[in-house]
Amino acid sequence: MIVAEQKPLAEIMRMLAPYENVLILGCGTCMTVCDAGGEREVTFLHDALRLAQKKSGDVTHKFTEYTIKRQCDPEFLEQLHDRISGVDAVLSLGCGIGVQAIAERFIDLPVLPGVNTSFMGMTKEAGIWDERCSACGECRLDDTAGICPITRCTKGILNGPCAGAKNGKCEANKEMDCAWILIYERLERLQQLEKMRRYYPLRNFRAIPRPRRITSNAVIEAGESDG
Amino acid sequence: MYSPSNTDKRNYPANRTEKRPDHTLIPPCQAACPLHMDIREYVDLVAQGKVMEALQSIRAGNPFPSICAYVCTHPCEEACRRSQVDKPIAIRALKRFAVEFGGDRVVQTEAETRYSDKVAIVGSGPAGLACAYYLRMLGYPVIIFEAHTEVGGMLRVGIPQYRLPREVLDTEVHRLNQMGVEIRTNTRVVSLDLLFELDYKAIFITIGAHQSLRMGIKGEESPGVIDGATFLKEVNLGLKPSLDENVAVVGGGNVAVDAARTAARLGAKNVNILYRRSKKEMPADPTEVAQALEEGIKIRYLITPTAIERKNGQLYVTCVRMKLGKPDSSGRRQPIPVEGSETVKKLDSLITATGQVPQTPGEFGVRIGRGSTIQVDPVTLTTNRAGVFAGGDAVTGPATVTEALAAGRMAANRIDDYLQHRYPVVSSEEQDTLTGELLPETIEMIRKIGRIEPPMLPPVKRTKDFAPIELGYGWEEAINEARRCLRCGMGAEIRFQDKCATCLTCIRVCPYHVPYLDETGTVKIPPDQCQACGVCVAECPAKAIVLRNPRDIRNISEELEHVYKSTAESKNKPLIIGFCCQYGLFGTGALGSLWRGTKAGVWIVPVLCIAKVDPEHILRAFEIGAEGVFIAGCGEQCARENTSAQVMQRVEKVRKVLKAIGIEPERLKMFIPGAIEQISGFFLESLVKQEAKE
Repeated sequence: MIVAEQKPLAEIMRMLAPYENVLILGCGTCMTVCDAGGEREVTFLHDALRLAQKKSGDVTHKFTEYTIKRQCDPEFLEQLHDRISGVDAVLSLGCGIGVQAIAERFIDLPVLPGVNTSFMGMTKEAGIWDERCSACGECRLDDTAGICPITRCTKGILNGPCAGAKNGKCEANKEMDCAWILIYERLERLQQLEKMRRYYPLRNFRAIPRPRRITSNAVIEAGESDG
Repeated sequence: MYSPSNTDKRNYPANRTEKRPDHTLIPPCQAACPLHMDIREYVDLVAQGKVMEALQSIRAGNPFPSICAYVCTHPCEEACRRSQVDKPIAIRALKRFAVEFGGDRVVQTEAETRYSDKVAIVGSGPAGLACAYYLRMLGYPVIIFEAHTEVGGMLRVGIPQYRLPREVLDTEVHRLNQMGVEIRTNTRVVSLDLLFELDYKAIFITIGAHQSLRMGIKGEESPGVIDGATFLKEVNLGLKPSLDENVAVVGGGNVAVDAARTAARLGAKNVNILYRRSKKEMPADPTEVAQALEEGIKIRYLITPTAIERKNGQLYVTCVRMKLGKPDSSGRRQPIPVEGSETVKKLDSLITATGQVPQTPGEFGVRIGRGSTIQVDPVTLTTNRAGVFAGGDAVTGPATVTEALAAGRMAANRIDDYLQHRYPVVSSEEQDTLTGELLPETIEMIRKIGRIEPPMLPPVKRTKDFAPIELGYGWEEAINEARRCLRCGMGAEIRFQDKCATCLTCIRVCPYHVPYLDETGTVKIPPDQCQACGVCVAECPAKAIVLRNPRDIRNISEELEHVYKSTAESKNKPLIIGFCCQYGLFGTGALGSLWRGTKAGVWIVPVLCIAKVDPEHILRAFEIGAEGVFIAGCGEQCARENTSAQVMQRVEKVRKVLKAIGIEPERLKMFIPGAIEQISGFFLESLVKQEAKE
């Protein structure tokens, strides 16, 4: 899941300043799960913005709210047609992908990000989310006992642990587990400690051409037969 | 299809429930009640101290709540699921509290006559009175014929006064008179034909079951032997049958227990109940039995008289011991005499209470079935004669008052159908009844609070006279007892399944571990386990969950809008809005003292547990102009232990926003008071100081 954090109210208000009619748009998938932009947060932000307006005496803005299932699919965005007429800007509480999807679909409409998209992660417990994947494009989790050193090691090193590990914790943050110690312990549990003996060559960051695109084989084949 | 969120702030999600206004599940207490009273509702209202509303709810489902408040055998309490946690809610005693403190005595009932078709009711017992009540409400002229000198049937002649004070019955009869019901006492109906000739269009026979069954033993006719029904009737009509010191009562039903306790009150020193089976089979109400034992009455099991002889003013009763054989047709084990176990007891009086049957005059021409009861169609309540209906003990054999009231109500509706030439409208839409055992993990999380019994007269005082033995609750006891209700079937449901992001928040926040993930990966909130605390409703990030009782949350927004409109004219400043728990003594008006004696405009938004206060509600309170907002929980009386911790998280969230907007976060406070003064003193003062600074 993509994890994000709602932007501070002051920043949101600064972004909104030039626009009179604003649609606050929630996202019913990842942003709902991470409490950053589901329907409850949309309504809460709406309430907060109205209260802020009242407090400041500047009541030029008009807000509407809506939440769609996913902002990152064009079909869901079609549902917005009726709601964006007369709107000067959309405040998207979707992740960065949602914001861009809206920008792409409604080319004349300013779209503002209401959240800071942070990482791909998982729920640790209610209200706490942890980063787990860096989307490097060449997954080695089979070699590292299902624990990603690129994401969870502060230094992202492929052949750890480094000399900074102490009592199982990282030198950069004493609260944080050393990813490589975790990997070692889990390999030991799985009786695959020999994997620790291997040397992993450096990743070639240049090899990742951005932005990436994945095209399914079926689409490729269909394209070839067309051609 | 994904539903849009609300754009109008005044439309909270609960508004969408209008399509299914009645989606609550029937709780087991209501299902067990012969009158299907909305017990959960009135118990909840008592818990909030709203006795008038509670009475209103009770009266909507019961023609004579004051009577039931004393004598109902409360099958609801047997069905109550709280007994799986500790003990059932004392529903009958709470009803008594509501009718007494809600002022049932002074309720006026009115009825207007809409039809000219006269209805005759034969018998003024609970079924007859209830039928008269509902027929008058429907608009029919009603006349009741009563053979006895006094009105009430078994309520008058059967039930002892210590269980039902006669003023209560008189009040109900008086109310019926006010509604225009004519009651002719001392009038025995001998012919139904005559009634039809007198232009009655329908007749309801409800003559009860007053005829005691004979034991069929030698000497039963002797002076000093009396049957239970006649004995109770004589006492209840003001006669004082002489019993002397040693009295035995034969039988194991409620009449036997009533007769024994009445005998004790008439001065009998030794009262023994002789029952031919064992304690387990005894049909009398266990509470009544326990009270009888407290009053010094002894019960001899597995014994029955076989012959009575009267010599020199004394009864010599031969008794034989019994043993239990195989179950008979009633499912109880058959008593078999033990040979050679005869003993002779010397008694002054013997009361036989071994069952009663109806005695229907043959001239009525209605078909009689098993146990001398009148045969009726179970749906239409009609007898074999056109226009003649029957109900109550005359049809069922001896049963409870509440069952008789239910029969009377049903008869009134069926007579209405008959007179309006309608096919009986019997509801085919069965509402779902909530069943199911509470799971151990749910029970574990429910705070254990013992049942509070209403105070009783001490046993030694009871047998001195016929004064009511139960004293009834005071405010505190009643409210605390009512708060024990688990509110079965009112809990949370995922109403908007399409919105659910399966984020699992509900599973994580539920204090009772109720929601779970099923094998398809769908979150389920089992209605038979949910305790309706509202935590998941306020926490669900997708707003997919609502409470089955939408009043709980919708009221908060409605109250806020009410405050908004009302404060427009109010000059009292500063405006302070408090979200206050309505449960417990806290909600009963103690808060009213807040805005007396202060110039500030303090407005209370009542909430049914502060766990239902949403951050949106708090922001809205500030938006409508509140200078300060507080949330006050009920403290130690709360059904849960960590309510305030969860609410505090929401308060912190709102404070953060307030700060960003430029409103001092201190303007939002939360209290878990034992002390109301905490709010009025500390909070108001600090606000006024802040005002002065500005």
